[in-house]
Formats: sequence, C-alpha cells, structure tokens
Amino acid sequence: MRAFSYSRAESVADALKGVVGHGETKVVAGGTNLLDLMKADVMRPTRLVDITRLPLNRIEETAEGGLRLGALVTNADTAHDERVRSRYPMLSRAILAGASAQLRNMATNGGNLLQRTRCYYFYDTGTPCNKREPGSGCGAIGGVNRIHAILGASEHCIATHPSDMCVALAALAAEIRVTGPRGERTIPFEAFHRLPGDAPQIDTNLAPDEIVTAIDLPARGFAAHSTYLKVRDRQSYAFALVSVAAALEIEDGKVTAARLALGGVAHKPWRDQAAEEALVGRPADAGSFAVAAEAVLRDARGFGHNDFKIDLARRAILRALQDAAASETP
Amino acid sequence: MTGTIDRVGAAAAETSFLLNGRPVTIRVPPIRRLSEALREDLGLTGTKVGCNAGDCGACTVRIDGRQVCACLTPVGQVAGRHVQTVEGLAVEGPAIGGRGGHEARLTRLQASFHRHGAAQCGVCTPGMLMAATDLLERNPAPTRGEVEDALGGVLCRCTGYRKIVDAVMGAAEDGIAFLVPQAGAAVGARVAKTDGIAKLTGEERYGADAMPADALWLRAVRSPHARARFRLGDLAALRRAWPGLAAVLTAADVPVNRYGIYPTGKDQPALADGEVRYRGEAVLALVGDADTIESLTDADIPIEWEPLAPVTFEAARAGGAPVLHADLPDNVLVRGRVVKGAVDDTFAAAAAASVVEVETAFVEHAYIEPEAGWARRVGDRIEIVACTQTPYMDRDEIAHVMGLSREQVRIVPTAVGGGFGGKLDLSVQPLLAVAAWRLGRPVRWTYSRPESMAASTKRHPARIMARACAGSDGRLLGYDFAGDFNTGAYASWGPTVANRVPVHATGPYHVPHVRALTRALHTNDPPAGAFRGFGVPQAAIAHEALMDDLAAKLGMDPLEFRHLNALRAGEPTATGQVLEASCGLAACIAALREPWRAARAAAEAANRAGGAVRRGVGIGCMWYGIGNTSLSNPSSMRVGLRPDGRIVLYNGAVDIGQGSNTIMVQICADALGLPMDAFDLVTGDTDLTEDAGKTSASRQTFVSGNAAERAGRGLRAELLRRLNVGEDAALRLEAGCVHARDAGGERTLRLADLEPDARGDVLSAVGTFDPPTTALDEDGQGVPYATYGFAAQMAEIAVDLELGTVKVTRIVAAHDVGRAVNPIQVEGQIQGGIAQGLGLALMEEYVPGRTENLHDYLIPTFGDVPEIECILVEDREPLGPFGAKGIGEPALVPTAPAILNALHHATGVRITRAPATPDRVLAALRAAGVGVTP
Ligand SMILES: Cc1cc2nc3c(=O)[nH]c(=O)nc-3n(C[C@H](O)[C@H](O)[C@H](O)COP(=O)(O)OP(=O)(O)OC[C@H]3O[C@@H](n4cnc5c(N)ncnc54)[C@H](O)[C@@H]3O)c2cc1C
Ligand code: SF4
Ligand code: FES
Ligand code: FES
Repeated sequence: MRAFSYSRAESVADALKGVVGHGETKVVAGGTNLLDLMKADVMRPTRLVDITRLPLNRIEETAEGGLRLGALVTNADTAHDERVRSRYPMLSRAILAGASAQLRNMATNGGNLLQRTRCYYFYDTGTPCNKREPGSGCGAIGGVNRIHAILGASEHCIATHPSDMCVALAALAAEIRVTGPRGERTIPFEAFHRLPGDAPQIDTNLAPDEIVTAIDLPARGFAAHSTYLKVRDRQSYAFALVSVAAALEIEDGKVTAARLALGGVAHKPWRDQAAEEALVGRPADAGSFAVAAEAVLRDARGFGHNDFKIDLARRAILRALQDAAASETP
Repeated sequence: MTGTIDRVGAAAAETSFLLNGRPVTIRVPPIRRLSEALREDLGLTGTKVGCNAGDCGACTVRIDGRQVCACLTPVGQVAGRHVQTVEGLAVEGPAIGGRGGHEARLTRLQASFHRHGAAQCGVCTPGMLMAATDLLERNPAPTRGEVEDALGGVLCRCTGYRKIVDAVMGAAEDGIAFLVPQAGAAVGARVAKTDGIAKLTGEERYGADAMPADALWLRAVRSPHARARFRLGDLAALRRAWPGLAAVLTAADVPVNRYGIYPTGKDQPALADGEVRYRGEAVLALVGDADTIESLTDADIPIEWEPLAPVTFEAARAGGAPVLHADLPDNVLVRGRVVKGAVDDTFAAAAAASVVEVETAFVEHAYIEPEAGWARRVGDRIEIVACTQTPYMDRDEIAHVMGLSREQVRIVPTAVGGGFGGKLDLSVQPLLAVAAWRLGRPVRWTYSRPESMAASTKRHPARIMARACAGSDGRLLGYDFAGDFNTGAYASWGPTVANRVPVHATGPYHVPHVRALTRALHTNDPPAGAFRGFGVPQAAIAHEALMDDLAAKLGMDPLEFRHLNALRAGEPTATGQVLEASCGLAACIAALREPWRAARAAAEAANRAGGAVRRGVGIGCMWYGIGNTSLSNPSSMRVGLRPDGRIVLYNGAVDIGQGSNTIMVQICADALGLPMDAFDLVTGDTDLTEDAGKTSASRQTFVSGNAAERAGRGLRAELLRRLNVGEDAALRLEAGCVHARDAGGERTLRLADLEPDARGDVLSAVGTFDPPTTALDEDGQGVPYATYGFAAQMAEIAVDLELGTVKVTRIVAAHDVGRAVNPIQVEGQIQGGIAQGLGLALMEEYVPGRTENLHDYLIPTFGDVPEIECILVEDREPLGPFGAKGIGEPALVPTAPAILNALHHATGVRITRAPATPDRVLAALRAAGVGVTP
C-alpha cells in the first residue's frame, strides 16, 4: 500500500527543506493537475508539501519596468489583474481561454507551467507510455493521436503541452525564477520546457529539488497589437486543438517586432524566432503572415489522426497575425 | 479504474475550518478530497461528484467566497478557511412550506431557480448555485455573457442551460411566492416542480447520497481489452494478502449469469465468464472495507489476459467476422423492415432523386450522476436502492439473475441525476444484489466517471444509405433506406432501435412508396442501447439532408417543400397507419415560416459581403411515435384520500428530471377537480406504487398521464357518488372534509368517518392505460404507436471557413406536443434536447478507452448553447390526457439535421458524418474547393 505524508510549508526555506533529497516528494499548489494525476495513479509521490501559503502570492513591478507574477498567484487573479490586463492583454486572454472559473480560482502560475500532458495513454496505466514508464513504448504513435504533436516530437513521445497561459508567456519571452539548494536562478522561458527527445519523462529543466518562485514579464507587452487565438472542439472549457499567441509592433504599416508562439502542437509551447525575424521589416499583411506560417510549419509532421493540425495551425497563425495587426486596443 | 487517493495510507490529521459559518474539526488524511470529506465524513451530500477530475463542476463549493472544485481540493488546504456548500446557502430568511410537509429556506437565487425551472434532474444544481452565488456577490447585475463565463465550469446535461441563465439573471427579482393554480387550472399552468425544493437545498438524495454507514464497498475489475480470453489467478492468495476483502466475486457466484432487456435476448453476464466482449466489461467484483477497496489497484489482481483481435463495425458489416454469440452466426442481432408499394419503380419515373450516406459515432449519455446505489438482504428478500429509470424491470431482472421470485425483490429508486435512456439497463444492481445476499451486509457502489463511460450503453453508431425521389409537383414519391447500427457486444435495446428506425425512416412526410431496412450488428464495442430517440436521430440526419437536396433540385424553398409533403391527418404513414388527429407538423413548419424567411435573407445578405465567417440557416423536421413499438406498455397509477384530507398520488413513474412528478399531479388534480397543493407524492418504490412502466420512449406523459387522469376521474366519481351530487359539482377540501357544490346545494363528506385501508387511505382509485397498437406484419405494416409527436426546428449558425469552427447562434423550435401540461417543463425538455442534438452534430464522439472522461469526451457547455425560442403547437391528441402527447425524445431529433443543413446553406458543402468537428469541416470544405484558402 502506498503511504503518503502531507505537510504544509510556511516559508520558501521550509518548502525547500521538504523537497530537498526526497526523490518522491512533490509540492502541491492548486492541486488541479497533481491530484488528478495521483487519482489516475499516474504520479505516485510519497510525500506532498503544500506550498499554497508561501508568500509568493503577489504581483509586483520589476526594476526593468515589467511585472513579477508570484508563483502562487492564482490564474484567475493574474488574468484579472488590472496591470496584466492593460499591459499584457494577450496573457490575460490566454489564461481566460483555459479551464473554467473554478479551476482558474485554484490553479496557480507555478502549477500552470508544470502541468503535464493530456495524452490519453499517459493517463491510462493499462497502456504503454514512455513518459509515464520510460522504456515501455508510446501508445499514441500508431494509436489514437488526434490531440498530439506535429512539431518537435520524437520517436519516443508525441505528447503536447496543454497550457494556454504558457503559450502567451512564450510569446512574451518571460523568465522563470526558481530557487533550490544551489540558490536562485532565472530560466528563460524558451529553456524551461523540454522537447521529448529520448527522455520524455522529463518535462522541464527545473531540477527536482527546485521550486518556481515567480514569472517575470519583460516590459514589452505588445499591448497594441497582440492576440490569443484558441481553436477547439467546443466553445469553452476545452483544451486547444491549436492555439496561437501573436504579437506585433507596427510602424507605418511595417512590422518592427514580432512574436509568435503556438500551443497544442508540441511537447512545449512552440515559439519560432526565425519566423518572427522573417516578419520584421515586412509589411503587416497577409502575404508576410503566410510566409511566417510556412516557416513555422516547414518541419511539421502528422501521425495520422492529427495530420489536420498542420493545415489548421497554418490557418490559425494567419488569422492570429491578422487579428493582432488589426487590434489597436486590448 | 484503479484506487483513489482519498484513503490510501496517508496518516489522519486534524483540520479545522469554518463550514457554512460553523467551526468544524475533522480527523482525516489531509490529502483526502474536500468533496469526499464533506460527503462521507461530514454527512453533507448536497455537494455532488460527477467526475472527480475538475471536468464537470458538480462539486463546486466556495472557499473564502470563491468557487472552486471540491474534488481537487485536499482537505489540508482548507485549514482556517471558510467553506460554503449548498446546505449553507439559505441559513437565514423565511421558511417556505414545500409540499409534503417539507420546510425549507431559499435564497432569492434558489427561489429564482425554482420559478424558472432551472433544475431538471437537479444534480448539477448545487454546483450551479455555488458558482452563481460567487458571481452575484461580486456582480449583482451580471450580463448574460458574464453569467455564462462564471458558470461555464459546471456542466448540465438536462436543461440546455438557458433557464439557468434566466434564473441567475432573474435572481434580483423578488419572489419566494410561487404559482399555485386553482382547482381545475393545473393543466397548462407554469407551475414549479412538485419535487423541486429539495433539489435546490441539497437535500435531494441521489444514488450515491443515502449510503448506510456500515455498508461494505464494492468495486468491479473491468477488462482493458475489447476482446480477450482470460484466466483468473490465485484469488485465495489475494484474499489472504488483503484481509479487508470480504469477498471476491466471479462469474460462478452469480446464480443466473445472463440478463437482457428482451426475454429472448438474455445475453449479458453480470461478470464475464472466461471471455470478455468489450473494453470495460466487468470480470470480478471486489467487496470489502472502503480503504481496502480503494487501495487495491488493477495491478494487484491476478488475471491472465489473452487479447484477441476485436470485431469492428466494418468487419461485422462485411460479414465473415468472428462470432460474438454462438446463436447469431452472422453477428446480426435483429433486422428491421418496413416495405410499402414499389419503391424501385418510383425512382425511374421521378422528376428529382437524391442519395445520401450518413455516418454517426458512439454518443455517451453523460448524465452528470454516475450510476450508484446500495443493497441489503432483509430475510429472504433483497432490497436495492439505486438510481434507475425502470424500477419494475429492474425488479424482474434481479429476480431472474438471483433466481428469486419477484416478490423477493424490492427496488427503491433514488432521485436520478439524468438518464436519457442510459439508466434503463442494469448497472450496479446485479452485483450489489449478489454481494449483499451472500454477505448478509449492506453493500454500496458508485461508478467512477471513467467506469460509467466505459461500462454503460451508448447511442448506436449508424451507417446509413438513403435515397428519395419526388415528382415535378414537388411531392415525395419514394424513399429507400438501408441502415446498419453498431449494437456492440450485447443486445441491450438494440432490437428496439432496429425496429423503431424503419417506421420513422422517411421522416414525418407522406411517402407512397417506401422500403426501409435495418440491421443491428454485434461488435466488440460497448453495448449500444437506449438513448433519447432510439436510432431516430441518426435516421433524421439522412431524411433531412434528402429533403433539402430534393427541394434544391426542384427549385423549391426547403421549408415550403417540407410543408407541402408534411404528413397530415388522414394520410397513411409508411406502415399504413392513418393518423386521425393530432398531426401538427404542417402547423409547426408554418410557425417557422416568418423567422425562417427573415433569417435566410439576413444570412444570404451577410454572406454576400464575403469574409471568413459565413452564416447559414437550416431546418429539420421530425416525428416520433410515443411509447413502445407495437408492444403493450401499460401504466397504472393509484390516488388515495387520507382521513386528514391530503391526497396521495402513488406514482410509479420515475422522474429522471423530465418532470413527471409534477405532470402526474397536474393531470390527476384536474381530473379530480381538487388543487395540486393538496397532493403528496409516493414515488416509485415497487412495494408501494403501481407499475407505471419505464421512463423511456417519451411515454410517461401520454401513457402514465392517462393512468393518472383515469385514477383521478375514478376517485372523483366515487366522491360524487358518495356525496350524491352531479357530474359538474365543484369539490373543495377543508379541515378533513370534502365539500361539493352543485345546483342542488352544498354537501359534505367527513373523511375521518371512513375506514382507512392498509395504506391509510379512506378512499382510493387506480387508473390504467395501455396505448392501442397492433403488431406489424412481415412488411412492417400495422399500427406501431397510438400517437406521434411532431416538430420542426430551425438553426442559425456561423461557420468560420478558415478554421472550420461552427457556432450555433439561434434555434427556433416548434413542437406539436398535443397539449403542454406544463409549458416550463416542455420548454426545458426542448432546450435540453437541443443541447444534446447540438452535441451530436458538432462535438460528441465516444472512442472506447480514449475518451472515457468529460474533457476528452465533450458535451455542450454554457457557451455552446444559443438562444432558443420555443413555439408550442397544441394539436390535441384525443387519446392523450387533456390532449397531451410526449416531448422527451422529439426535442433532440431535429436539431442535428437543422444544424447540418445550416452548414450546407452557409458553405454549399454537405457534411453527413457527425460530429462535424473543425477538422472534418475543413476537410469537407477543402474537398469541395470551398472557402477562403489562405
Ligand atoms: C478540467 C481541467 C481543464 C483544464 N483546462 C485547461 C485549459 O483549457 N488550458 C490550460 O492552460 N490549462 C487547463 N487546465 C490545467 C490547469 O491550468 C492546471 O491544472 C493548473 O494550472 C495547474 O496549477 P496548480 O496550481 O493546480 O498545480 P498543481 O496541480 O498543484 O501542480 C502541478 C504540478 O506543478 C508542480 N508545482 C506546482 N507549483 C510549483 C512550484 N511553485 N514550483 C515547483 N513545482 C510546482 C507540482 O508539484 C505538480 O507537479 C485544466 C485543468 C483541468 C483539471
Ligand atoms: S505521446 Fe508521450 S505521453 Fe503519450 S503515450 Fe506516447 S510517450 Fe506517453
Ligand atoms: S466532481 Fe469535481 S469537477 Fe466533477
Ligand atoms: S439538471 Fe443539470 S444535469 Fe440534470
């Protein structure tokens, strides 16, 4: 019989003490993902450290003119924060496009980064899955893979990262602040999530004994020209088939800066800097956007049920960039 | 389908918090779900559990004022916080007298829910109320969109959400006062539900809510394979390793291990015997204490599997596949057939002909309440308390499985948190009965959501090929239909589908020449059974596509084409039946004419401007035979008068949210001539009530309603006789006396002077009704149903040609219900049916093993269901109670066709494979070269 211990940390030091050196310890924040995975017997930590009372629950200005989002601020409070709404409308929209009001009230910013894939086989302990049980195989390759990756997948895993919030954070080039026994460090958003490669069991580059303390948003929020587009099977409360965070700066009809990230297509929020650069200096029109879309999807590959996502992603990129170009005020 | 985190190993610890304003301390593992702690440890079962995964919102409570899912909140996290549940909503405020001596307090929001009919089965209601309370506290005057956002995390499968939005927006209005109709004015009144208050306060008891504290827990071990042979390992060793196990039941423990709906089709084992035929089939039952049952995982169970290649629908259709049941060598369970005239000849002579192929998926009932119940042995009787749509059939089936007499079985139905056909089959009952009988202790069982989805029946996937033709005058000449239905591993209601579909195949039109053939085929898929419409919704997609196409070929407006061909009184149906009255399709279509013209013109004008988003308007029509197909299906109702002047309706018709508890009282009250509020209900306990048949086939209002009317008239006749007054005397109840006034003056009967019977009634009457039908001959000719419901719906949609997404923006629904006994409930059925039809058209597709939860299997949410206008056409049915027919299933049938036809109007592309998800819409557009291709 599996045995748990459950404790509540009152400070960051406390939490680290709980985590350090205990391989099967997990911190629990909102619990919306972890409890679900434990119920499904997919994750089997033996110790849980509740971190919801840590003083990481504020949104603050940074010296660089950006915002620091505490790891334990809820997704709801982040999305509704006046500063986030006015300066980073794309982020606010992305969060509100995800989950439901109850879940956003519970889910935390830190937990959102670390939520795990919604691959059916990952959840079904009766099937092989390299992410759940390294070396057991991948049920999705050759199985039902309508919701799976078209970019950056490996022969070991074709899962996608399910977050909406993270797609906007990728486009904003946020930074993740973490702390651990080796001290504090900052991880650029790009480097936080991993591609599956031959170790799909590892989702991120956060060390097992580190915790996330905050997400830093840089000053540049693309408030004038940005959007978050989510394509899904129903109108609300469903994970994305494909989503796009698109942000532009435009002067005299020309793109001077661009950001483009996709959700639902890869093991991590998929930002394509080459495509972004290709847009710079070009007119903010459909022709340029089509070139960018082609660039993002050049190496895309389907696995059968999800072939449609390649074309859908192209269309969604185009639409999102057009909407971003058109949007003046959030 | 393994253990849960609620009990495993964690050490108990004290957690203190405020619960509904009062401090509480509980000693449980801090990792236990708050929902579990509230329900099991604190006895507050008002908070419901529909999924345990954050998907359904039934468990919504407020923590420090904010709505959260209790199922994903560890108890440890609420230390020092304030938790509010539905039981804590109305702690102050005036008490109102509910019916049956029931006292309750309601907040304005709850009162508004009651007035608006916002709760049907009520299992989502506590969650809705908590989410709405959070919203209204922050924003007392929300917009529609704000309500939809705030409540968007709570799923409802019954109401179609519209009345819930209305109730939240109307919460500011005052009114604890509810309409109480005068004697004789109940039928047709917008009265609130007789059983509504308990659904708002959290007091209603559903299958999982009334479990005895000392019950053992049961859990089934289910097959992970669609088809496999298996061998059980050393179960004695398992027992030794897990001392908390009281029993491990196998096939050998089930006295008669075969059940099924039809006497000839008892093909389903309660526990598989060496071979499984679908993923999710039960193989073993573990019975023991809660901790043991919850801790055991499937990996602990010694089973050796030998998986075999499953028989797919394609393979079954092609023939020659491995045989599922030895007595059906071609895997064909049933063939259905209706043939009239010479259909082949008509096509040669026709001015226009069209063909269509339709493909639909498995659709899951997705009631928010998973199957649940408990059983105990009382002497040589077995008692089962469970959620069910059909207590009397359960009684007979359990008697059969247990090898007992019917008299030895008592079924006590709980409130049902949605059924839609899925709770017509046995679920928890047989294994609970076997376990409780053997162990002599109460045993309880609640399905998990994945278990409910994997084990229960589904809507039949269909492959339909149909063609129709018409003359140059626009009149239909011939209709030729061949449909295969995937009935899955066991018979269940497959024969009903195969027989009902051919009768309805042409749609509600007059067609002189018809051939309609169906097959129900066995496969290694989940058993397909009864689901709102019994195959007719699938067939309707075909006939409505054909009507549109023929109209286009003949240059006619689709609505006018249908109006011309609408079946009218005096015209024969495909089975040769001639309806003499209550044939209101033409009236329904006519009621849509104005909105149709306006919407079509507006959509076409908007589309001329181009752009990625195109609008479309489509129409769908349907008919639906009320009651069983050519089978006797009687109902009886008893009404009694107490010495104190209360009237008791003994109502065996199970209310699964559709409202029969209210409808029966309305009908009986008016038949009797006394007011509704004098009535108390005794519902569906097979020991106390008369057999009112199943809650299915939209039959309760028509069939049981007739019985209730007859019972009421019978009691009235008895009263009039005793009082010696004339037929038209007005009755009045007062202080234990019945007073009657007619031309001859006033008379009084003192009830206490009469001798009460064993039930405690001083006078009583029973009414019985069985709809007149005849058997169908080998060409399917005859009178399969006594009456039919008719409807026409119109859907307006917006299609994004670039992204393939479809948004339904408005539906206008005109339904001929004979007589709307309670317009609120009729609207509620229409709106809820439309939501399910919308799901069928656009998003619902069950894939065994892959979509066994409510985030991979999507049902419509608040944001998906548009504004719905209901037009009630009341073409009285002379046979119906006060002219009423049924509405339950008719509501769903025309919606998917109307949406798919609107898609065609918007894009020129016909999609006949449901659901039309964005990828399928894009593929169809691309194949047709339609759309802005960026
Ligand atoms: C029904 C449902 C629908 C959903 N729909 C969507 C959707 O449409 N879009 C979307 O984006 N998301 C969706 N989600 C996911 C939801 O957003 C995440 O579950 C949530 O953000 C996780 O946050 P949490 O605080 O609850 O994390 P937890 O469940 O508490 O933790 C998740 C993981 O993060 C780790 N963790 C948490 N905080 C920290 C920290 N500070 N440092 C280190 N590790 C940490 C935990 O150890 C755990 O491994 C949905 C979830 C559910 C249940
Ligand atoms: S895609 Fe990844 S998560 Fe899914 S089954 Fe394969 S390895 Fe597991
Ligand atoms: S039971 Fe909690 S969301 Fe379904
Ligand atoms: S009333 Fe909402 S689920 Fe039944």
